[in-house]
Amino acid sequence: MDAIEGRWQVEQVFAIAPRPDALVAAESMAVPDRWVGTGCDGQRVWGRCIGTGSEPYECVVQHAAAATWCACPSRLRPCKHALGLLLMWVRGQVAEGQLPRFAEGRVADPVPVADPTPAPVAPEASSAAPPPSAPPERDLTGSRDERIARMAAGLTELDRWLDDRVRTGLADPALGQYRTWDQLAARLVDAQVGALANRVRRLAGVVGSGPDWHQRVLAEMGLLHLLAQGGRRLPELAPGLADSVAAAIGWQLRQAEVLQGVPHTDHWMVMGRSDVREDRIEVRRVWLRGRESQRWAMVLSFAAYQQSLDTSLEVGTEVHADLFRYPGAVGLRSIIGQRHEEPVAAPEVEALSLTEACAQVGDLLCLEPWLERVPVCLRAAPARHEGRWVLSDAEGSLPVAADASGIGQLLACSAGGIVPITAEWTPSGLVPLTVHLADRAVDIGPVADSSFVRSAS
Amino acid sequence: MSAVADYWDELVTTALLGTDRREPPAAPLGGLSDLAADAALPTASQQLLQQVAATVAVRRAGLLPAAPVALPAGPEPDPRPTTPPSASVTWRRVIDEWAVLEDEWVLAVLRQQWRLAPELVPSLLARHRSDATRHARVRAAAGPLADWMIDWSPRLGCAAKQRVVPELLAELPELPITPDLVSLLAAPTERVVSVLCDGLATGRLAVGLKPILVNLVARVQPMVLPALAEHLRRLTTTTSNSLGLSYALADLAHLRHQMLTELEPV
Repeated sequence: MDAIEGRWQVEQVFAIAPRPDALVAAESMAVPDRWVGTGCDGQRVWGRCIGTGSEPYECVVQHAAAATWCACPSRLRPCKHALGLLLMWVRGQVAEGQLPRFAEGRVADPVPVADPTPAPVAPEASSAAPPPSAPPERDLTGSRDERIARMAAGLTELDRWLDDRVRTGLADPALGQYRTWDQLAARLVDAQVGALANRVRRLAGVVGSGPDWHQRVLAEMGLLHLLAQGGRRLPELAPGLADSVAAAIGWQLRQAEVLQGVPHTDHWMVMGRSDVREDRIEVRRVWLRGRESQRWAMVLSFAAYQQSLDTSLEVGTEVHADLFRYPGAVGLRSIIGQRHEEPVAAPEVEALSLTEACAQVGDLLCLEPWLERVPVCLRAAPARHEGRWVLSDAEGSLPVAADASGIGQLLACSAGGIVPITAEWTPSGLVPLTVHLADRAVDIGPVADSSFVRSAS
Repeated sequence: MSAVADYWDELVTTALLGTDRREPPAAPLGGLSDLAADAALPTASQQLLQQVAATVAVRRAGLLPAAPVALPAGPEPDPRPTTPPSASVTWRRVIDEWAVLEDEWVLAVLRQQWRLAPELVPSLLARHRSDATRHARVRAAAGPLADWMIDWSPRLGCAAKQRVVPELLAELPELPITPDLVSLLAAPTERVVSVLCDGLATGRLAVGLKPILVNLVARVQPMVLPALAEHLRRLTTTTSNSLGLSYALADLAHLRHQMLTELEPV
């Protein structure tokens, strides 16, 4: 392709700027004297910008895909160097040339622009499961544009950071320093991809936490890479998957938007509860399963210090209610709408064998491999094997997470026999939440620290 | 070990060393290999990240159980009925709000021939492991399950060194009560209600006496409790402190009545 073909207008460069004042800084960079080794071809424009660092910043823009890469440390993406380089290219100040070595393999970081590159978008809220959600909105304006640009820049930075880590190796002592992770997380928060920031901070705690920490860190880095890639390609994804990726990277939908969807009415059995502290917030997950649909749903509540968690859904009860699902491929997260009757004791639960449970978990993870918790109701007994707890039946066994609470209660309730158990699958093992006995459901899930929240149970 | 598991180990080794020092391994034939061929990423680090992501997804989605594990032999059967679910809720309220009632709760379980609900056994054993008498009561209430649990988790065993006096096992421990109120322990309902309500209404029984009054309500005859709770709740006094105390004692009387009622034989 000729380099002139597909050359942008100045307005298109402006459109991908993360904020208006970035253009002022970019203009000061769009001076040929500040650059060495510039060139372009039908896909890319590149150059080395002489900045304040000891080495020039290498910069590559793949204009055909609106993707940028720059070696500068700026949190803003695209940075002023990339924008300046683009401005010079737009003005015809960059000659055609051969792609240099430093530019090989760089960029694949799409930046949202109106045209020609489609932009990453927020999930549409009007749809609710079970029907698939509406495709992401494409007509983006104003603050949403700015936010999307920030998110795209954050995802680009995350992927570059991951790339550097696997290039230099996980044995790098820097990984043992919390600061290494926290700085990245802070930049992700700035980029408004807070959900990924949380995952990064949690990952910091895994380093050195056991003999297999390298495996766990690498697995999570792989999933972060998957989300970073998916997040920059939202318009190319199927609608449900795009919604899931958007939610997983931190795009929040307002409850009011979710409540505009089509309700899923069922008799919702409250199968389990799990409280987990995430940073300075206590998060309560309540797992529901529809008696008729057999579909799972998750209702979240949050409490900061000395606030209360929602106690309206009691494990072992059943509530006939409307449920509104957040859009997504799996669509677990939900909001309870109108309740049609008072809660009653739930009927006997249907539980799966371990093999069936694995298949169910696998089905959901096929749709969203980055899920950190998947609910399952299985029939098994707790047992010890090679120094750790497992849940076992006649067909097989699955490990229990080392930090799972309630093992004592599970053991006592099972008395060595096979009982129905609701558990969360997590990458580190099963977390038992509820033992379903003939006359009662015993809630054994992790409970919030009562000194942190009010009314933890 | 499967090819994917071997491949994963090689990916981990490469990631540990870094792709600057070691080339990513070749993917096993199949979907992972096809993905690597299709993507044709330019740098080793990008290839590795892509393969890590894909392999993690494959391994998680392909979750399979390991070989079954021999299940432990259960405890000896216990023919006694299990305490009702509501009693478990009440026990939690007792230890959270009125721990003075706990001894009586456990003794009621024993006297009425209930078997302690299994979900409470670990908590009660752990809670009383430093008190030989109370620990022995819990073991008796839990039956064979208690010893079975202690076998599994020795930290649930009794840590106290004192000997258990058998006579104390079935005896409700005495609580300190002032001599002028001791006579109320065996008094009929009307007298208990009258002394307590009048005392609180006139201020003769003040907040400073709360520990004594709590002990008294925890030990008066059970038949007194419903009327006492009712009168204390309806009490009108001139001071807000006395009002708060009367409500607290009413709550205690009500909870004690409830716990004894729900543990009556079916």
